[in-house]
Amino acid sequence: MRVKVREISSGLHPSEVVIEVHTAEGPERLVVDRSSVQGNSIFVGWRAIAEKKGQLLVELPRETMSGTWRVWVKRNEIAPESRESVGAA
Amino acid sequence: MILTDREILIALDRGLITIRPHPDGEAFTSSAVDLTLDPLIAIVKDPTPALENVIDPRAKGFNAEQVMGELSEQVTINSKNGFPLPPRKLALAWTREYIGMKTETRLAARVEGKSSLSRLGLVVHMTAPTIHAGFEGRIRLEMMNHGAVPIRLWTGMRICQLIFETTLGTAERGYKGQFIGQMAQRSSAKRR
Repeated sequence: MRVKVREISSGLHPSEVVIEVHTAEGPERLVVDRSSVQGNSIFVGWRAIAEKKGQLLVELPRETMSGTWRVWVKRNEIAPESRESVGAA
Repeated sequence: MILTDREILIALDRGLITIRPHPDGEAFTSSAVDLTLDPLIAIVKDPTPALENVIDPRAKGFNAEQVMGELSEQVTINSKNGFPLPPRKLALAWTREYIGMKTETRLAARVEGKSSLSRLGLVVHMTAPTIHAGFEGRIRLEMMNHGAVPIRLWTGMRICQLIFETTLGTAERGYKGQFIGQMAQRSSAKRR
């Protein structure tokens, strides 16, 4: 399952990139390896960890700048090609 | 339980772990694998009146990468002279190796220092050693020279070691099995 992201800037190392995830609480930024971003999305596991009111709890591959790993995202923030996996939750 | 050198190699062969370039035989110890230093490091500059003197990680729109970019200067380690890291200097550095750990694997890892460098006062991480399943990329090192004199850093020097541990079960997001739905519903119900 992949979550949509937006590239914000390069990271401090050429292999890294700063991305932003739109969570239900607002934007969260994190640094990931460039290879992790494919089609403006990142892999967040094979399924959501929990679901409530159309929102999915997912764990990001690295800690965000605010110190969180797990975030609630709206269902439409899931990249389309991986939506079938959401049914597991 | 900590993986031995044999088990790390098996995990590499099975594709549960990726280390690129593949470490040579000398990089292994009985229960760890050494990683080496990338040529690029970011050295935190001395404070000046023009620099922000307080970092607020909870500030709205806080971008740690931008802040550290402004506070530091990038240095490429000179291949002939190395780079002498002065005492009390914070440097962000990276391993030369790319590490990949599959999300579904029952493994986690810790990056730790090497005693040969620790004795000199070199710290390679600041209390955040855990590498979770699902990690991919180069490991970022937060280095500080706590010694009395500069320590010369060299590209490719053995800078840290990676210790792999088995976890008790697979992390929630790593499950791919037939009980996926049940587990997720239970987790979801608990949180309501």
